[in-house]
Amino acid sequence: MQPLTKCFADRDALVAHVKQLAPWAEGERSYIQGGRAMAKRKLEQIDPLHYGRTRNYGNGKITRLSPYIHHGVLSLDEVRNHALTLCREPMQITKFIQELAWRDFWQRVLAQHPEWAWNDVEPYKTGFTASDYASDLPQDIATGTTGIACIDAFIQELLHTGYLHNHARMYVASYVVHFRRVRWQAGAEWFLHHLLDGDIASNNLSWQWVASTFSQKPYIFTLENVATYFGAPLDTSPEHNQPLDASYAELRARLFPLLKEHA
Amino acid sequence: MSPPILWLHEEALRISHPVFTAAGEGTRAIFIWDDAYLRARNYSLKRLVFIYECLCALPVEIVHGDMTAVLQTLAPERVFVPAASAPPLKETIANATARMQVMHVPDIPFVTIAREGAMRRFFPYWNKAEKTAFMPHGGTDA
Repeated sequence: MQPLTKCFADRDALVAHVKQLAPWAEGERSYIQGGRAMAKRKLEQIDPLHYGRTRNYGNGKITRLSPYIHHGVLSLDEVRNHALTLCREPMQITKFIQELAWRDFWQRVLAQHPEWAWNDVEPYKTGFTASDYASDLPQDIATGTTGIACIDAFIQELLHTGYLHNHARMYVASYVVHFRRVRWQAGAEWFLHHLLDGDIASNNLSWQWVASTFSQKPYIFTLENVATYFGAPLDTSPEHNQPLDASYAELRARLFPLLKEHA
Repeated sequence: MSPPILWLHEEALRISHPVFTAAGEGTRAIFIWDDAYLRARNYSLKRLVFIYECLCALPVEIVHGDMTAVLQTLAPERVFVPAASAPPLKETIANATARMQVMHVPDIPFVTIAREGAMRRFFPYWNKAEKTAFMPHGGTDA
């Protein structure tokens, strides 16, 4: 039983080795590198004091630690403990600690209900039933060629890097489920394929939250919201993002016509 | 029977995981690169490269083969494995270690919750979790 090599001249050689091992695997490498040294370097750069106020913005003080946390390269405990050393009072970093807690929460939910990984927890609260949603992910979504500039930019980032800002994940998930009426399972499976931090608990239950099968109402967003939180250099011009350019009331009426109240 | 082994998997790629302490110094540590499993998980090349890079930094042998077949060939008297969370991984571990003595070693807890109750919405969970969420090791002595 000869072990596989762990010594490579450079990253190109390692990637070539993995390609040889898994010729069926699609895509290319990400710029994000695995390994404890990279994880520690990113951990040293976190800014939990400014995380709470900026985390929803594309250029906010997010950590990008999730690929390392998912693979256990860093533990939630280790990240929390380091964050505590960067504040005077623990309450200063409540939002940061809560975000770590979300991952712990999703893990516990799935441990209690493994069947929720792929089954609707509750019915859709969109006026539609599950059978009204397409089972397969449309090709233009899979390739990031929907023609909606900001959505395509987010998808291209996912395809090329294996990472996406959490707010952008919600936009894309909402677009897939509510604007295109595709079952959340198709989107969740697609994300798991690409995301370096792809975690069945966090990923799938978050898709269910957006879809409304694990929340009180469907999550939708407007172009104005994307422009507020991301903006330049992302193209959020109305002419290149027409389907998203509407008020919340208009979108609710358009996307959920069977619901009685749209106010 | 052969000596015990430490079977590391994709959710626990660090040497400070408690499984290393549980297994003890000198225990042979392996990661099984199982083509069928990885293909069934439908991982993109990005994910596979990331996992391989993590493995290169660890004191584990990367063994190429079917998980069940590798473990049967090694026939260890005991398997130390990090507790897993993804349902497909849990199922795979259960199948591969059937009829073996297995110790599932959990990671250091993030929080300590005495009575978990039904997990459904975040804030009922948080109301319990926040009591230890700001404490190192989730309030345990780990």
